[in-house]
Amino acid sequence: MDLLLGYLLLSGVGLSMSLIIVGLIWRFFRIGHFSLDHQLAGMNLFEFLLTEIRMATSGDVSPRTLIDGGIAVLMLTPYLRVLASMLYFMLGLKNWKYTLFTGIVLAVLTFSLFIR
Amino acid sequence: MVPFYILLPVSILAGFVGAMAGMGGGVILIPALTLLGVDIKHAIAISILSVIATSSGSASAYVRDHITNLKVGMFLEMFTIVGALAGATITMVSSPRPLYIMFGSVLLGSWFALLWTKHVTWHEGEQDRFSRWLELEGSYYDAAAQKTITYKGRRAYLGAPLMFGAGLIAGLLGIGAGAVKVLIHDLVMGLPPKVSTTTSNLIIGVTALAGSSVYLIHGLIDPGLAAPVVVGVVAGAFLGTRVLVRISNQSVRRFFLVILIGLAAEMILRGIRGH
Repeated sequence: MDLLLGYLLLSGVGLSMSLIIVGLIWRFFRIGHFSLDHQLAGMNLFEFLLTEIRMATSGDVSPRTLIDGGIAVLMLTPYLRVLASMLYFMLGLKNWKYTLFTGIVLAVLTFSLFIR
Repeated sequence: MVPFYILLPVSILAGFVGAMAGMGGGVILIPALTLLGVDIKHAIAISILSVIATSSGSASAYVRDHITNLKVGMFLEMFTIVGALAGATITMVSSPRPLYIMFGSVLLGSWFALLWTKHVTWHEGEQDRFSRWLELEGSYYDAAAQKTITYKGRRAYLGAPLMFGAGLIAGLLGIGAGAVKVLIHDLVMGLPPKVSTTTSNLIIGVTALAGSSVYLIHGLIDPGLAAPVVVGVVAGAFLGTRVLVRISNQSVRRFFLVILIGLAAEMILRGIRGH
């Protein structure tokens, strides 16, 4: 299980960095320099993710999608790690005390992902 | 708007130096970014985003080595994330100058801590009932000492509120506050040093997520800034950890004492003068 969590963290960071780097390089090829001119309007992570998924699935892929996607993946990585930990305590160890504690962490994080 | 070809090397340097001293990139990154003209709140937001990356990266290695104590981590995370949310919210409503002063003071505190680091030998101690109820014991195989070390975490009733404070600092200033957390694990909760460091790393990532979610909502995460900085810091940290094994502790410590006091003075003066 430790291995799984470790690889989850590693792949999360790896994927995130790859998306950002590819996005930046693509941007460079498109316009000749690396600067980005879009902003992330004030939205919570949930809205951010939805926007990303909508962009990706509608085929509107651009350097911006990749870079924003990379940032989104980065923020999701610890969240998924906590979720995995909770499932581990709940299903693997059947430790209800720690399922509760992890659940509380997950709840607070989820709250911070949804507030306006 | 700071150009990319300056942001990237500065971030790599910040990540590199931070990794070498085990203090995380934020301590170098935020002063550097503000010197380049980035507003301090943007710098804090970007820094805390990069902290997610660096801590998750290093935590992944420690978790796979089975040294990290997941229970200690999860218990304390309950407190750090609330602290981080509070800290980030305070930063959002605060004016910039107190932030500079607070940041400089934390750097100053780290400088003192580094100056007076004594090696407290870890020893097994009595576990209180609360910590026993929390199941805070564990063991790990220490490759250096070639034996399995068992330990019992204690004084969770103290560790928890202190971790709230650590989370507060982290969310407020955009740093990992790893040093604070390690201190708490080490001195207050009696965890062996390797467990302290590795568990702290795990907690930092989640704390940073909580903080960055507040900054995201307020539109303070600028992708043009975030993209090169996060990539740079991660790259720098990666290189830094490779180099760290080849340099003596003494040189790193001396180098860092100079850097810290310089940055601390600079930030505090800026806060006072109103740059």
